Amino acid sequence: MQEWANQLCENRQFGSKMTDSKYFTTTKKGEIYELKAELNSDKKEKKKEAVKKVIASMTVGKDVSALFPDVVNCMQTDNLELKKLVYLYLMNYAKSQPDMAIMAVNTFVKDCEDPNPLIRALAVRTMGCIRVDKITEYLCEPLRKCLKDEDPYVRKTAAVCVAKLHDINAQLVEDQGFLDTLKDLISDSNPMVVANAVAALSEIAESHPNSNLLDLNPQTINKLLTALNECTEWGQIFILDCLANYTPRDDRESQSICERVTPRLSHANSAVVLSAVKVLMKFMEMLPKDLDYYGTLLKKLAPPLVTLLSAEPELQYVALRNINLIVQRRPEILKHEMKVFFVKYNDPIYVKLEKLDIMIRLASQANIAQVLAELKEYATEVDVDFVRKAVRAIGRCAIKVEQSAERCVSTLLDLIQTKVNYVVQEAIVVIKDIFRKYPNKYESVIATLCENLDSLDEPEARAAMIWIVGEYAERIDNADELLESFLEGFHDESTQVQLQLLTAIVKLFLKKPTETQELVQQVLSLATQDSDNPDLRDRGYIYWRLLSTDPVAAKEVVLAEKPLISEETDLIEPTLLEELICHIGTLASVYHKPPSAFVEGSRGVQHKRLPGSSGSGESVESPDPGSATATEAPPAVIPSQDLLGDLLNLDLTPTSTTGPPPPSSGMQMGAMDLLGGGLDSLPPVPLRTDTPQSPQPLHQSPSPPDHSPTEIGGDLGGSPAMTAGFGAPPAAVPPSFTAPVSGGLDDLFDLGGGVGMPVSVYVPPKTLWLPAMKAKGLEITGTFGRRAGVVQMEMTLTNKAMSVMTDFAVQFNRNSFGLAPAGPLQVLTPVSPNQSIEVVLPLNTVGPVMKMEPLNNLQVAVKNNIDVFYFSCQYPISMLFVEDGKMERQVFLATWKDIPNENESKFQLNDCHLNSDAASSKLQGSNIFTIAKRTVEGQDMLYQSMKLTNGIWVLAELRAQTGNPNYTVSLRCKAPEVSQCVFQSYEAVLKN
Amino acid sequence: MMISQVFILSSKGDRLVYKDFRGDVGSDAVGIFYDKVTALTGDQPPVVMTHKDVHFVHVWQGGLYLVATTTAAASSSPFAIIEFLNRLAALIKDYCGALSEKTLQMNFALVYELLDEMLDFGYVQSTSCDVLKNFIQTEALSARPFSLFDLANVGLFGADTQQSKVAPGSAAARPMQGGKSEIFVDVIERMSVVMGANGVLMKAEVEGEVVVKCFLPSCSEIRMGLNEDLSIGDPQLRGYGAAVRVDECHFHPAVRLDEFDAHRILRLSPSQGEQSIMQYRLADHLPLAPPFRLFPAIEKDKTGRLLLFFKLRCDLPPKSSAVNVSATVRVPKGCVSLSQELSSPDQSAELQPHNRAVVWNIARFAGGTQLSALFKLDVPALSSASTLEVGPVGLTFELPKVTASGLHVRFLRLAPAQHRGPARRWVRYVTHSDSYAIRI
Repeated sequence: MQEWANQLCENRQFGSKMTDSKYFTTTKKGEIYELKAELNSDKKEKKKEAVKKVIASMTVGKDVSALFPDVVNCMQTDNLELKKLVYLYLMNYAKSQPDMAIMAVNTFVKDCEDPNPLIRALAVRTMGCIRVDKITEYLCEPLRKCLKDEDPYVRKTAAVCVAKLHDINAQLVEDQGFLDTLKDLISDSNPMVVANAVAALSEIAESHPNSNLLDLNPQTINKLLTALNECTEWGQIFILDCLANYTPRDDRESQSICERVTPRLSHANSAVVLSAVKVLMKFMEMLPKDLDYYGTLLKKLAPPLVTLLSAEPELQYVALRNINLIVQRRPEILKHEMKVFFVKYNDPIYVKLEKLDIMIRLASQANIAQVLAELKEYATEVDVDFVRKAVRAIGRCAIKVEQSAERCVSTLLDLIQTKVNYVVQEAIVVIKDIFRKYPNKYESVIATLCENLDSLDEPEARAAMIWIVGEYAERIDNADELLESFLEGFHDESTQVQLQLLTAIVKLFLKKPTETQELVQQVLSLATQDSDNPDLRDRGYIYWRLLSTDPVAAKEVVLAEKPLISEETDLIEPTLLEELICHIGTLASVYHKPPSAFVEGSRGVQHKRLPGSSGSGESVESPDPGSATATEAPPAVIPSQDLLGDLLNLDLTPTSTTGPPPPSSGMQMGAMDLLGGGLDSLPPVPLRTDTPQSPQPLHQSPSPPDHSPTEIGGDLGGSPAMTAGFGAPPAAVPPSFTAPVSGGLDDLFDLGGGVGMPVSVYVPPKTLWLPAMKAKGLEITGTFGRRAGVVQMEMTLTNKAMSVMTDFAVQFNRNSFGLAPAGPLQVLTPVSPNQSIEVVLPLNTVGPVMKMEPLNNLQVAVKNNIDVFYFSCQYPISMLFVEDGKMERQVFLATWKDIPNENESKFQLNDCHLNSDAASSKLQGSNIFTIAKRTVEGQDMLYQSMKLTNGIWVLAELRAQTGNPNYTVSLRCKAPEVSQCVFQSYEAVLKN
Repeated sequence: MMISQVFILSSKGDRLVYKDFRGDVGSDAVGIFYDKVTALTGDQPPVVMTHKDVHFVHVWQGGLYLVATTTAAASSSPFAIIEFLNRLAALIKDYCGALSEKTLQMNFALVYELLDEMLDFGYVQSTSCDVLKNFIQTEALSARPFSLFDLANVGLFGADTQQSKVAPGSAAARPMQGGKSEIFVDVIERMSVVMGANGVLMKAEVEGEVVVKCFLPSCSEIRMGLNEDLSIGDPQLRGYGAAVRVDECHFHPAVRLDEFDAHRILRLSPSQGEQSIMQYRLADHLPLAPPFRLFPAIEKDKTGRLLLFFKLRCDLPPKSSAVNVSATVRVPKGCVSLSQELSSPDQSAELQPHNRAVVWNIARFAGGTQLSALFKLDVPALSSASTLEVGPVGLTFELPKVTASGLHVRFLRLAPAQHRGPARRWVRYVTHSDSYAIRI
């Protein structure tokens, strides 16, 4: 009655307003008023239409929150359709109008008691969606009742509601004991309820990684498996995903679970299939391989995977990404299904590339003929990326299946005959790898290759061709002419080509010393004197010294037998693969990245591991992550570098396929540290003199453990020589050092000293902070530095007054990074007139924080016996870069992508005459760490990371063009405001 | 498996439906998604897109983007989300008759109601029409105005005229509530074939499904008889005889198979709306010869033009015919012009230089006949390798009333139930090309 009266009242009110609003109907306000009137109409149909109109406006993004009270008034109705519409509105606007949302609570509570289960469920569902704190307390009682409701529809809705409530107020859920009720629901008689309870518990458990919420024991597993057979497809997914987290006690249990999950493989819903595959792949690890059932299971896994490929291209792609993982882990599953991975001419390119990758992984002696015929077809297709990858794939086949090598080579020769530029270049690159694998077998093709010398314009192909010429110099009559022709434009070539050319000519010289003396001298002088690339110079000097000291040793070193390249294609690193297998079917499996790489800390992410085989305790197949580094591995077989460079995602490094770190940087770092480490241990004096012993430490110094010879050898063709060089026993250096060489060596050592030695932190020169005029005769100049991990303020206090100064003290204003003195200012003796003293004040970063403008501004108060003086100074932000600021490559890449583009700032650094490697080591001194280096078309790109004391990471990309003194620095950071300061530090460090 | 939001956008990016389930992604996601999806190039997989920690999964149906967002990369399955979005699209079609901007605008309340029942807090609850109809209150509005053309299908005075034996393609596109009681059974097959340059069949594959679209008001049982000689599995197991065979098949969980082993009869009580009741796959060993064969000849004439002489034969039975046949021939790079001689007037051909292709269209191609075409191409930089660049011919076509596997529905019986009046039953067959390539 009351309500009716209210409504009447309001209606009348509106009635009078309506006459006015006629004039304003064109305005927005008019529309709202009209709706208001309609909402308060007493005709049900009209009301319903009005609410629909409101929701329509809501959908297109109009703000109709002003109608909140009017819509809520419509809530008390027995018309379910109208009620649903009102609830829809409530869910959207309650958050913005929390006070008014309370108005609705009574109706909710009442609805939770309604005889109609639909209304009970609707009420409890909607209440959970209103994310207003105040409502939650009213929600508890109805929710408790609904969790025990007689109707399963209400119970399953209530189960989800617990998860909703937990999201708003976790503590409340725990205090109210809802978790226990939820656990009880796992044993519910209705499978839908079980599925929702499992889903809710799984989500809640994620935010409490250590709680034993989802207490999976054989009894609960049994319940889940029973529910699995009865519930809807979506419920099956929840249950299967939950099962995947369980670790069976022994192989028996594992087998019995597998048996009960297997029927899901023939489900029509691909998500169910994939979740089942995930469970099976995981539990299979525990089954002994000689078990009959193991074989049966393998057979059962193939057809559902094949069926996934008949879906639309988008799903196909997702399926292929997953199959790629499965094939790496268990190639035997799909070994007979090669044909389904053949590319259809109308597949989208991303599907084609993915299929190709799987084809090579499955290639074996049994199917190689078929595969090769296909690849040859693909190599004549239109799409350039695809063709390139197909040509590379032919090379991979040759390396993987020895019996097919000859056929592969002849296929490649056919392709070279087409003279299509990119096909030829790609073919030459892979033929180089085939030569590495089968030395002295296919040189007959060299003549054909040489015909195409002129058409090569990509550095990789040029480098490959030069390597071939150098390697087989004795069989190529005009090898010297060919190499000489490359030498003309030596300085315009990319580093890769220059290094190859240097090595190739030295090889040529060792093979045909008489005719090529001039050539070798030319290249050595080009490399050592005219180049500012330290890699090139180092390599040049090493060859020079080798050749001039002991040609026989040089021959042994440079022409040493090369380690074989391995036959496996770019495999995902085993620990990562294991983790990804645990995430089959999820987004992580599409990206081939662990979930931790793109999930911000908000949700706890556990790293999942496959269970070990129950028999052997520590599984042989899951190597310890520590041993994955190549340190202990014998250098006999090196993983061939990412041959099929992941064309699809042109990342800075092929992280998704990391086995070995990219050889290019590994090589340089290794070589450099070797030099630096060696020189470090020497007293500086002998370095300057031409003592004959001086070069010895070069060989004696052990190579740093993290840069194994394997990595050094990872570079293409030429580097094996280098590997051998470092691995060779130290050659005794005769005292008869020739003049030019020793001169060169001196240079080399300078370089080594400059590049390899740990460079101390860059400390800017002292600047005048406080002039004497402003501070009654006290002058302060100072600077900041970071020494041994401690930030320091270094000051010179000068007394320019007439009287003695004592009682110094210092204080900082609040500042951006919480800098504060770590101790009192140590001025122990009074400062007499015209005396200067040096003070070093250690700082910490735990003081109060306030954002300053500019960010690195610091306001300081200095007190002495005369007065208190204030000044402000700016510190280089580089002193806040901490020592552990080196990011993992994986993390780097993920973080880089994760930071939105708009957070990137680009800066131009002019007139910097360092090459990229020198810059890198210089920056490293200031805790700016180079993570990877890439060279593209003569442009060096350094990827760097640094971490501030307050935990902010800054990622940087430094681009340097050879011969161009202008660098480009791109900085990415979650807090982009630091970028400007960081760049200033770059500038300061690199220019000093 | 947690969906944060679901929204449907028109091709222009207008929001048609927007619903937030978890409140962890802002509503600006809509704009971000549209920017991202329109910026995609053809060689990027569109499946999953990421912005900060939001992942977008979408399907493109009926000119609309159906999008779901999620933040849980570790637990969300793209399969489940795509599958869900496809079901959503199917359900909207079932309820509203079609999936289009217009029907959505008219029925948004219904769609919201559907979404509310399908997802709770981002967990999929149900996508089954049978379950959902217990909860759905709103009635659908049909977008199609009444038209005289609708009457054209009605048999005059109940007489079964020849014309009404074929259900028009659009007949099944209407809301499932109300209307005539009808049932449509479509057997749809997709064919992938690769033929080698020497005419050898290198790969042949058929993927098929049986789709039932049911407009019967009550869910009475239907019995559907398939070929009695249908065999499943390995061809070697079956001995001789021209049996119809499939390698693998899956059935909808609701199909009862107790008569299947003995009589190849499927029993089911279809729910209203559309569902795929059987999916099957057949690789190699097709019962019929592949429908098209190509006899190419390539030569250079004296003036330096490249001549492509093609004879295309259709090996379908004489009564059947293929429609909308289109052959795409890859031609050498730098091809500037084309002159053509075609054997009949209802064909056409054009050069598409950006695709490096000549497209030869044939509107209708009767079984057992042969067509020929001569293409003269001007290639300025013609080299000996150019003929190698004339690449595989890709064919697209439709074969109405034909199944490549030979699967047929022998009969379709409705249990004598309490539904009003006689129900119309339609069975339609069609085979599409999925990927039909002939190498040269």
